Amino acid sequence: MAGIEGSPGSSMHGVTGREPVHAFSVASPIVPTDTTAKFDLPVDSEHKAKKFKLFSLANPHMRTFHLSWISFFTCFVSTFAAAPLVPIIRDNLNLTKSDIGNAGVASVSGSIFSRLVMGAVCDLLGPRYGCAFLVMLSAPTVFCMSLVSSAGGYVAVRFMIGFSLATFVSCQYWMSTMFNSKIIGTVNGTAAGWGNMGGGATQLIMPLLYDIIKKTGSTPFTAWRIAFFIPGWLHIIMGILVMTLGQDLPDGNLSALQKKGEVAKDQFGRVLWYAVTNYRTWIFVLLYGYSMGVELSTDNVIAEYFYDRFDLKLHLAGIIAATFGMANLLARPFGGFASDYSARYFGMRGRLWTLWILQTLGGVFCLLLGRADSLPLAVAFMIIFSIGAQAACGATFGVIPFVSRRSLGVISGLAGAGGNFGSGLTQLLFFSTSKYTTEMGLEYMGIMIICCTLPVMLVHFPQWGSMFLPPSKKVSEEHYYTAEYTEEEVQKGMHHNSLKFAENSRSERGNRIASAPTPPNATPNYV
Amino acid sequence: MAINGVIVATILLSCLTATCYGITFSSLQRSLEVEASVKADQVLKAGEAKITVSWKVNATYSAGTESSYKTVKVQLCYAPISQKDRGWRKTVDILKKDKTCQHTIVERPYSASNNTVTYTVKRDVPTATYFIRAYVFNAAGEEVGYGQTTNAGKSTNLFSIEGVTGRHVSLDIAAACFSAFSVISLFGFFFMEKRKAKASN
Repeated sequence: MAGIEGSPGSSMHGVTGREPVHAFSVASPIVPTDTTAKFDLPVDSEHKAKKFKLFSLANPHMRTFHLSWISFFTCFVSTFAAAPLVPIIRDNLNLTKSDIGNAGVASVSGSIFSRLVMGAVCDLLGPRYGCAFLVMLSAPTVFCMSLVSSAGGYVAVRFMIGFSLATFVSCQYWMSTMFNSKIIGTVNGTAAGWGNMGGGATQLIMPLLYDIIKKTGSTPFTAWRIAFFIPGWLHIIMGILVMTLGQDLPDGNLSALQKKGEVAKDQFGRVLWYAVTNYRTWIFVLLYGYSMGVELSTDNVIAEYFYDRFDLKLHLAGIIAATFGMANLLARPFGGFASDYSARYFGMRGRLWTLWILQTLGGVFCLLLGRADSLPLAVAFMIIFSIGAQAACGATFGVIPFVSRRSLGVISGLAGAGGNFGSGLTQLLFFSTSKYTTEMGLEYMGIMIICCTLPVMLVHFPQWGSMFLPPSKKVSEEHYYTAEYTEEEVQKGMHHNSLKFAENSRSERGNRIASAPTPPNATPNYV
Repeated sequence: MAINGVIVATILLSCLTATCYGITFSSLQRSLEVEASVKADQVLKAGEAKITVSWKVNATYSAGTESSYKTVKVQLCYAPISQKDRGWRKTVDILKKDKTCQHTIVERPYSASNNTVTYTVKRDVPTATYFIRAYVFNAAGEEVGYGQTTNAGKSTNLFSIEGVTGRHVSLDIAAACFSAFSVISLFGFFFMEKRKAKASN
């Protein structure tokens, strides 16, 4: 189930956080422990950890986890660091609403490309240097913020800082070298959620730093510039920690990673083809654009919104804005859990309904947030909106692993890019012009979420059904997953991993799983 | 008699609504005449330039109401060109929600004479085009009159202030140093490890 080392998209394995086995540890009979290895955690034959011990810093597995998610968190902090300080920056740089909106779009657009490149960088240099390079080369861009003196400079610097969000890829890649594939889902899901929290934490940190610096005697227009040094230093500190304390593999040897003979057992072209021609891929790209995408957009506008609409002090607006992003700590895992729970009774149809309900709920409360005239109501609606949107992110990756086995990595990557693209588009449409006030922008964003979530009703798995249609009796899981290989490839036996997956995925039928017979034409030799 | 009652009731009700929703700018009389030492289209530097503002009661408008003036507040207000595309500086008739005037020059108890102040433009005043407005308040803290240096359409006698950039040479140098440190330590480490790996092979 780990996929072949180096095969296209294998660096994205575990990104989903929702692969069928989801646990904090995997017991010995399933994956045998290598008893000769002297690590703090039980390891498998590749010396990947079989157990996920959250509060440990043991070298190398848990240390990697913490170095990795904190680096990702740091990049989120610096990408959204400007957002809570916009009320000060807009006066200093004489920004118009379109400047602010364009900067927001720029901050999420850069990473669409950098995430695509990052996979290759990790393959070339290893995840440790991939992470260190990105974090330390983006430190100068964070320091550049204190030099900015015009709208153009502001947009450019936010664009460059945004590249650092590609640490997501290095984070997931690095952990897949350290953790067994049976628990990689939980590990990567936790890391992704905790990294995303950075977008919330920054709304708290930056106004606080600004206030402290002002108290020491700086004028406002200098204080915010000094405040940006702190995220910059965090980049440098994390980069150095990653380089000195981190290692690429459990055994510490980078060159072994590159010497692995089993390079690309699958062809990237075919993997890409099956990802792109599966209509479900595009529906999930759209959906993720309106769950993760709106989360990123809201991170960019919410502090300024509360500051302006309710006349709050900067640090109070920051605290409220922070609760939006910090909900990721629990909301995203909750979405995945809700997806798994509904799948127990209703299978894939349950997962699709859960996703639709959570995301639509998020959209409704986004709409209500824009309408709310009083502060307590606005905060309440914002919190429910955040839970809906972030749980929907988790639930999306509850379904994506089943869309394709062969092209899982590429589809996950496309969905991720869709998130950033959705964010950029939404900010461009609703938050960049004076045509709409921010409250109108939130209302329209809510309506757009509701509309763009409707296509999930079109997602139909022949073997499991869709939201409104039952499964067709003739198609089995094996049919669906084998259809991704041509006759030739089936002859060569390339589809065996998919068959194994197909058998495991029978749980997506829901209650009827006990009585599901093995289809007669499934190849038996994958046992 | 009944009509009188209705009229009184309507007036009372509208006063009530006005206070419920807040006092509006359009309900105020331009009872003050405000003059400033700044000429039209002049550019002032924040942190350095001084403005002298003086105000006096305009006899034609404010007959008899001067006794209710308890506090006067003189403010720097954004001209329409600096409000364009910037919703956070919007002019709204309800004074509680109005964001036109965000920088206070002086706020002090009202007195019939000695109505002048010399103000050094603060360093947190942003780059924009401004005019000056003074509000007078009654004992309840409500606006009861105003005066401004420009006309009703806010198009004449406007001046600009050039804000501080907030940048300092020391910040620039610090940013450059830390950036250089980051890049150099990254490549230094990288090549050092490569050399070590080659040496041990």
